[in-house]
Amino acid sequence: MARPDENGIAAQITTQAINLAPAAVISIAILVLWQVIVVVLKIPEAILPTPTRIFDVMVERYDLLLAHTWPTTLQCIYGFLLAVAVGVGLGIMLAFSRLFRTGVYPLVIAFQVVPKVALAPLFIVWFGLGTTSRVLLAFVIAFFPMVVNTFAGIQSTDPVMIRMARSFSASRWTIFSKIEFPTALPYIFSGLKIGITFAVIGIIVAEFVTAQEGLGYLIVFSEGNVDTPMLMAAIFVLSVVGVILYALIVLLEKLVIRWDVGQQL
Amino acid sequence: MAENSVHVQISALRKIYQTRREEIEAIRSVDMAVQEGEFVSILGPSGCGKSTLLMAVGGLLPISGGTIEIDRDAVIGPRRDTGVVFQSPVLMPWRTIEKNVLFPIESLGLRASDYRDGVAALLEMTGLGGFADNFPSELSGGMQQRVAICRALIHNPSLLLMDEPFSALDAITRDTMNQELLRIWQEFQKTVLFVTHSIREAVFLSDRVFVMSPRPAVISKIVDIDLPRPRTLEIEETPAFNVYVAELRKAIEG
Repeated sequence: MARPDENGIAAQITTQAINLAPAAVISIAILVLWQVIVVVLKIPEAILPTPTRIFDVMVERYDLLLAHTWPTTLQCIYGFLLAVAVGVGLGIMLAFSRLFRTGVYPLVIAFQVVPKVALAPLFIVWFGLGTTSRVLLAFVIAFFPMVVNTFAGIQSTDPVMIRMARSFSASRWTIFSKIEFPTALPYIFSGLKIGITFAVIGIIVAEFVTAQEGLGYLIVFSEGNVDTPMLMAAIFVLSVVGVILYALIVLLEKLVIRWDVGQQL
Repeated sequence: MAENSVHVQISALRKIYQTRREEIEAIRSVDMAVQEGEFVSILGPSGCGKSTLLMAVGGLLPISGGTIEIDRDAVIGPRRDTGVVFQSPVLMPWRTIEKNVLFPIESLGLRASDYRDGVAALLEMTGLGGFADNFPSELSGGMQQRVAICRALIHNPSLLLMDEPFSALDAITRDTMNQELLRIWQEFQKTVLFVTHSIREAVFLSDRVFVMSPRPAVISKIVDIDLPRPRTLEIEETPAFNVYVAELRKAIEG
């Protein structure tokens, strides 16, 4: 991988900005085209509002949007963290225990075939319409990639590296904590990135079904009122939340993984 | 250096690999006695079981018969007084060079802070003085293998086991590494067991060369290399050197 100019953060930000420039130009072009088409063809607002109209709604009703953004974001994070704890933990157990590999892994795979969204009504029956149901739905959708990636990451450890560690009398714990876990980290981060997007999906679906609060609720509520500008404003805010959560994980990854992963993967 | 006493004693060593279908006899019977401070090479064709022998001495492979003793103590697992250098450097890409060299210290439960100066001295000695804070990916193959040698020496083992450590390097780098290895060996007076399939390398480095036959392996010949030390590359041009090379080639070709 080519290293960016190492003259400092300013240079790196400039490089990033240049990298993002084409995407920004295309995005603006699409928004302009959208605006022109809606105005020229006189498309009704209930079908497709203009970007400026959506923006106006976001400014005017920011209090309402913000009130629904918080619960969605927090529940995403709770569900995600739960998925990280259970997923990474289970991945480690799978790597170390034959019993887990033969007894538990097939069940995990079988469970993955179930469309998790279909579990939402069941969770409502069990846990009610509150936060618990929504967090659990995000959890069951997000945890699978963590399990698989953690397991695969530990398994990818170079056997000669383990032999090297053994030659220096390394304990089983030393081999895990100082060799296998760091080897698995890039894989785990791939799992985290997939997992966080899955967690957002889980929360939104749960909010559709429970219809109590959150951006998912705001979306179905607006749809009921044929308030399409608000519906699309909520979708836009939701996308921003998703991007920010994803970016936080990328940032964490950059802080944790400072070595050249190229020769490892 | 201690007076001539046996450091490594291998008696009737036998190793059988059990595969799903059959038993493979890798080593039939090997007897070896290595003196303290001696540089001994084990020379043989690829796949003859010489690495197997070395790993067994390192306590990293169970043996099927016979005994291996280090300082009259039967080898039953990895020991604190040996250092192993593998064919590839196997450095941890997430650790800096200094932290890689310190790994045995952590692994053996010693205090890393007591060995920082030792790391610096070893890196300096192997020409890696300025690279303590670099990552392995920033070093060439030869430099990485030097780091692996420093790592094998940091806990001051008396026995160094080297498994074709320079076989992946180009010829020029390999010559340099061989000379450096001799310099290090002369400075530290360790016993070295060096596995190689290069005849010239074995002659250049060793006090004695043990020739291993193809599988099932036995020691087919032992050659004392009576060349003056310290040795430099010019020695490879001398008639005496080439007589040893010819003798060993004949021994290998059987």
